[in-house]
Order: sequence, then C-alpha cells, then structure tokens
Amino acid sequence: MDRKTPAPRFLNLLKIKLPPGGIASIAHRVSGVLMFLGIPLVAWLFARSLENEAAYLEVVGLMKSPPALMVSILLIWSLSHHLLAGIRHLLLDVEIGIEKAQARASAWLVNIGALLLTAIYLTRIL
Amino acid sequence: MSRAAQGLRAWLLQRITAVYLAVYIVGTLLYLLTRSAVDYSIWHNWLASPLMGIATTVFTLALLLHVWVGIRDVLIDYVQLVSLRLLFMVVTALILLGSLLWVIRALTITAMQGEI
Repeated sequence: MDRKTPAPRFLNLLKIKLPPGGIASIAHRVSGVLMFLGIPLVAWLFARSLENEAAYLEVVGLMKSPPALMVSILLIWSLSHHLLAGIRHLLLDVEIGIEKAQARASAWLVNIGALLLTAIYLTRIL
Repeated sequence: MSRAAQGLRAWLLQRITAVYLAVYIVGTLLYLLTRSAVDYSIWHNWLASPLMGIATTVFTLALLLHVWVGIRDVLIDYVQLVSLRLLFMVVTALILLGSLLWVIRALTITAMQGEI
C-alpha cells in the first residue's frame, strides 16, 4: 500500500488525544480485564459468605477493610463503565445513535456516568 | 462450521450473555439496595430459593462464556506470540472453570440446606 505520509512510529501515548468514543472503547476493555481478575476473589468471598453466620460476618468485616475498599472502588468503576458502555454498544449494534454527534454524546455519557456512579458508591462507603 | 460462522457465533454469544448479565446485576443490586438490612439468614435464604439458585447458576455460566469471548479477543489483539497466547488462554480457562465450580458448589450446598 502506498502512503504519502509514513505511518507514525513513535506514538507518545500522553500526546494522543483520543475522542470520547475511543476512551469509552479502551476503558470497556480495561474494565473487563479488571473484573476478570477480580472473579476468583469475588467467587471465594461469595462461597465463604454462604457457609455459616460466622463466615458471613467474617466476609462482611473483610470487605470493610481498607485494601478491600480500594479493590471494591476499582471494581465498582469497572462494573459501572462496562455496563454503560455495553448498553451503548448494544444500541449501536441495532443502529440506535450511530450519527457522529449522537455517538460522541453517548460516549461522554458513558465515561462521565461511570465516574458519577463510582462517586455515589464512594459517598456510601466513606 | 466455517471460520466466519464461528466468529458470528462468538459475537452473538457475547451479546446474548451481556443482556442476561446486565438484567441479573441491575435486578439483584436494586433488590439488595432497597432492603434496609441484610443479615446471614436473609442472604442465605434468598440464595437457597429455587428462583435465585437457578438465576445465579445461569449467571455464572453466562459470565464464564462472556468473559471467555472477551479475554480471548483481548489476548488475540495484544499477545502476538502464539505460544504465550495459548498459555494465557489455558490459565484464563482454568481460572474461569475453577471459580464457576466453586460458586456452583456453594449454591448447591445452600439449596440443599433449604431455609434456615
């Protein structure tokens, strides 16, 4: 393939300005991978919480510890973003909101909405 | 099945499971958040009920399929070395299967205990 200008070889990630749709897209991936990594932990906590009352209280106590709260903030953001971006994706699949202006607006809605939901979660745990 | 049809099947699977996962997560979160207090017996009996037991078992299966398609896509895009990609895929499958079996084991025991 002939190109007048060579493909950029030294990408400075800090200087690339992603459009909101690009941010929504990469964050969809990052949030999915983060939740995948959290699955064994959440599965173990879930199973333990059902064992008996003492184990249930132990899990509740564990989830209030600072490291667990940090992890939960990350997972809540991930879930919020993945869910909102996923709904946007499904709507785009059925050709709802595919106009450029609408798609940009919905991408903003997803990116900001996920942060907003995380902020609401923060006010509940702090 | 042709390669193209396999791709379509994965694409469709990703979307069908996505809808179920979204409905389950929003539904259960709303239920839990609208309750003033949850203690062990409420938590246990809720998941011991046939409806929640089945819905949650289906959730873990849907989640396994959804995560498998997603992580596979990510590995294909970012891990170019085929042997390394294969290794990551095996580890992913083991993590998912292990977690799934662990949750289904807990749900089965809970269902067999019935209401407490």
